Amino acid sequence: MMTNTTWLAALDAELSARGVATGDRAAAIVETESFITDTAENAFEHFGTPAAYATELAAALGCNQRPEVPLDARVVLDARQVDVAYRRNEVLRDVSVTVRAGTLTALIGPNGAGKSTLLRVLAGVQRPDQGRVERHGSVGYSPQSGGLDDHLEAEQHFRLFGAARGLSGSQAEADGRRLAEQLVWKCEGAGIAGDLSGGTQQKLRVVTAMIGEPDVLLLDEPYQGMDASGAARFWDLVSDWVERGGAAVISSHDPGVLSRAHEVLELEANLRSAA
Amino acid sequence: MKSVDTPKPWLRGVLEPCLLALLVEGETYGYELGVRLEAAGLGKVPGGSLYPALLRMEKQALVRADWRAGDGGPGRKYYALTDAGRRVVGEQAHEWLVFAETVGGVLRPHATTPTASTGGASS
Repeated sequence: MMTNTTWLAALDAELSARGVATGDRAAAIVETESFITDTAENAFEHFGTPAAYATELAAALGCNQRPEVPLDARVVLDARQVDVAYRRNEVLRDVSVTVRAGTLTALIGPNGAGKSTLLRVLAGVQRPDQGRVERHGSVGYSPQSGGLDDHLEAEQHFRLFGAARGLSGSQAEADGRRLAEQLVWKCEGAGIAGDLSGGTQQKLRVVTAMIGEPDVLLLDEPYQGMDASGAARFWDLVSDWVERGGAAVISSHDPGVLSRAHEVLELEANLRSAA
Repeated sequence: MKSVDTPKPWLRGVLEPCLLALLVEGETYGYELGVRLEAAGLGKVPGGSLYPALLRMEKQALVRADWRAGDGGPGRKYYALTDAGRRVVGEQAHEWLVFAETVGGVLRPHATTPTASTGGASS
């Protein structure tokens, strides 16, 4: 049988997976531990499985009921102790994140906290100074800016990104059009990317990241500049993606992302500059 | 009278009013509340039911929590009634009594004593 210490550690992980804030989590752990000490009985006797009890506590705390994430879901991306500094400015220090299939990870934090840097590192377009990143599958990355060829039309982007994931041209175009439509965007005849509005370019980035259904999506402020209906449909698309077993990491300032996320990674601003 | 564990679905309904009632006597911590519920005849109330109930009441501002250092062990969270909690105790107690009376009216004619039923002896 599980020891009380193991049980408490598992409870902490399960609470975290349900988005229970650090303070509430610590309080729950200490109180539970204190109860176990007083009764001198096994935690399981009183509280059942850590997962079931975490669900109960999260509901009592009014946390949005997140779908159950089995902690043994396949890991698609694993970053350990990542450090990044620009010149002597530390942007990321000792950041670790594990992304599992069928989950949404919210990446939050103020401007300059390193959200975009972390996504670049996760995507493999930037090397960390320290630490390692393991990718177990394909990655679809939508940067906050760039990432498009201004002189190419939407369909040409679809073909390009689709080819990278082994799709035929027609498959890629069909896939891209379908995704664009879901974001309330008629992409046929929309012209070259450079002439699109900021919000529409954003839609194009999201679509190219999703083409061919990579194992994990990395989206940097994806709905910035999108119209309200586009943003709403974007979230539908993400929910559907995650439900079908896809993984996503999304950076955002919008607190709304928190209620949808299975995991939340908060980055701090203003790390001291390395002396 | 022998204390029998209260069936889980029933406990869900009565636990919060009972906890509020116990807290009228003064602030205390979760484990102690569990001991007093058992002494009152409700049977063993698992911590897994007790703490979420306290947490829900804390969220509704019916009780307020206060951390104290435990003697040697981990810290203890003490619960006390708020003014709102004090008001609600009376209302809930009244509602419960009316409800229990009603349910009693429906069930009373059909009640048998548990010791009378010793089925399953034939073979």
